[in-house]
This record gives sequence, C-alpha cells and structure tokens, in this order.
Amino acid sequence: MTKDIILYYNKKLWRTLFLVCAGLLFAITLGSLMKIEVVNVLKQSIPLPLQIFYAELLGFISPGPRYIIYPILIKLQEFGVNLGVIIALISGHVLIEPSTFFVEVGFFGYRFPFKRFTVSLIVTYLAGAITVFVGKFL
Amino acid sequence: MIQKFKKSGIDIKMGFLLIGISIVLMMIFNINFSQLIISNSDIIIKIIYLTAIAMMISTAIHFLIPENFAEKHLRDNKLSHLFYATLLGVLTPGPVYAIYPIVIVLKKKGIKNPILVAFLTGQTIIGPARAPFEIGFFGLKFYIYRILLALIMGPIAALLFIFLSKFWPDKERNTES
Repeated sequence: MTKDIILYYNKKLWRTLFLVCAGLLFAITLGSLMKIEVVNVLKQSIPLPLQIFYAELLGFISPGPRYIIYPILIKLQEFGVNLGVIIALISGHVLIEPSTFFVEVGFFGYRFPFKRFTVSLIVTYLAGAITVFVGKFL
Repeated sequence: MIQKFKKSGIDIKMGFLLIGISIVLMMIFNINFSQLIISNSDIIIKIIYLTAIAMMISTAIHFLIPENFAEKHLRDNKLSHLFYATLLGVLTPGPVYAIYPIVIVLKKKGIKNPILVAFLTGQTIIGPARAPFEIGFFGLKFYIYRILLALIMGPIAALLFIFLSKFWPDKERNTES
C-alpha cells in the first residue's frame, strides 16, 4: 500500500510539476509585461462592474493549468485591483476553458457546454459582485 | 519522438504550448530570461514547494475516498443533492481533464445533467489541492470565503442550468464511446 501511494505521488508530482513550471514561465513572462501605470489607467477608465465582466471573460479564454494564475493575481492585488475582479478572474479561469469546452462537446453534444458556459458566466459575475461588498472584511 | 509526443496527454501538450508561447513573448518583447527567473525566484520556489504539498493532499484524498463515492450519493435534482454534488466536487482533487472520466461514468449511471453541472462547478472552482496556494498567498480567510462561495455557486449554476433547459432541453447522447 505504501509503495502504491509513493508511486502514485511520484507519478502525479512530476507530471504536475512539468505543467506547473511551464505555466509558471508563461505567467511570469506575462506578469513582466504588466505595468502599474497601465493597470491604473484601466482601473480609472473602466467601471468596476465592467472590470468584473472583462476579468471573467479573460479568465475563460486564458490557457493553462489552475495554479499558474496565482503569480498574476498576486501582482494584480499589489496593484490594488479590487478583490471582486480577482475572484472573477480566478473563477473564470477554471470554470470553462476553450479546450474543456470542446471536450464537453465531444462527450455531451454542443448544448451542454453552451449552457454551462452561460451559467458559468452568470455565477462568476455574481461571485465577483458579491466579493466587491464582502471583500472589505477579508 | 513525434509519435511519443502525439501519444502524450493533453496536460503535457498544454505544457509545451505554454513554453512555446512564453518563448515567443520573450522574443517579441525582448525579455531577458535569466533576469526574469531571478526577479521572480521567490514566487517560483514558493509555487514549486506548494505544488508538492498540493500533490500530497491530492494523493491522500485519492486513496481515502472510494471511486464510487460520488455515484452513491448523487441521484436527483433536489436542492440538497445539488449541494452534495458541489461539495463532492470541491472535495475531488485533480485537473479538470482527469475528472471527465468520472463525469462520464456518472452520466452513464443515470445522474442528471444539472447534478453534473454542480459537480463540475464545485470541482473546478476550488479544491483541497488549492489550499496551500490560496492560504499561502491570500490567507486562510480568503480560502474559507472561496469555499463558501463555491458551495453557493454550484447549486446556483445547477438551478440556472435547469432553468435554461426548459427553453433549450438537452439532447440525449450516447456516452458509450
């Protein structure tokens, strides 16, 4: 049993680490292109409800494994981006992504992922909007 | 070599794609690779270390929770079942590609689509393996808040799916293949 656990852990760890390191490289490369001046301009020129909407759309189309978004989120938090926007980005990134959309089309037909995408868009927006108010206490 | 790459999983292909995109970005924007690594070394070490912990949690759950656990506890579209489905999703570790086989089995066993939506929503939004990352970077309060949010979002997603299905019903599809 212990051997099975170690073998399973070992296999999962190296496979995940490869993907995480690749994703991390992508995230820090993208992060290095983000400038506080640009973020400030975006914060000032785009109203918060629209920021949440853009964040979730950006999350939906972003590729890569779940863990790679953290370096970008930390940078956004440092730049003073609202927690609601961060929640929309983090939830949008994982709820539906282009590759899983096509996997679901293959398994369930096109209606299921289309409806799930619509539903995810609504619940992610709600989560972001709720966090705008709750975020002060976190 | 090419044959081996073609046979590899979608996660490996995705990894190579991300490396490729990063190299292209570095070339276009003239980013110094070694400087990039040095200036982000703290976060790189932290993420690698947290990944190892996340995999430990994921492995423990894999061996502790029986494979038919979800199938046993999910049946109808009742609100309580939607909540259980979300909770089970939250507790199920692994990348989303790894849980589709579970979802297909559940579908074959007659579990309804709204339940699957609640399960997928809970599984993707948060999971035990995310705990080290979220607590490490944003604090315990943030992680607990995210769990609560996921437990609310799952059933709402399923209820919205039921509502949408009234106007655009699902077509039954053979999932044997």
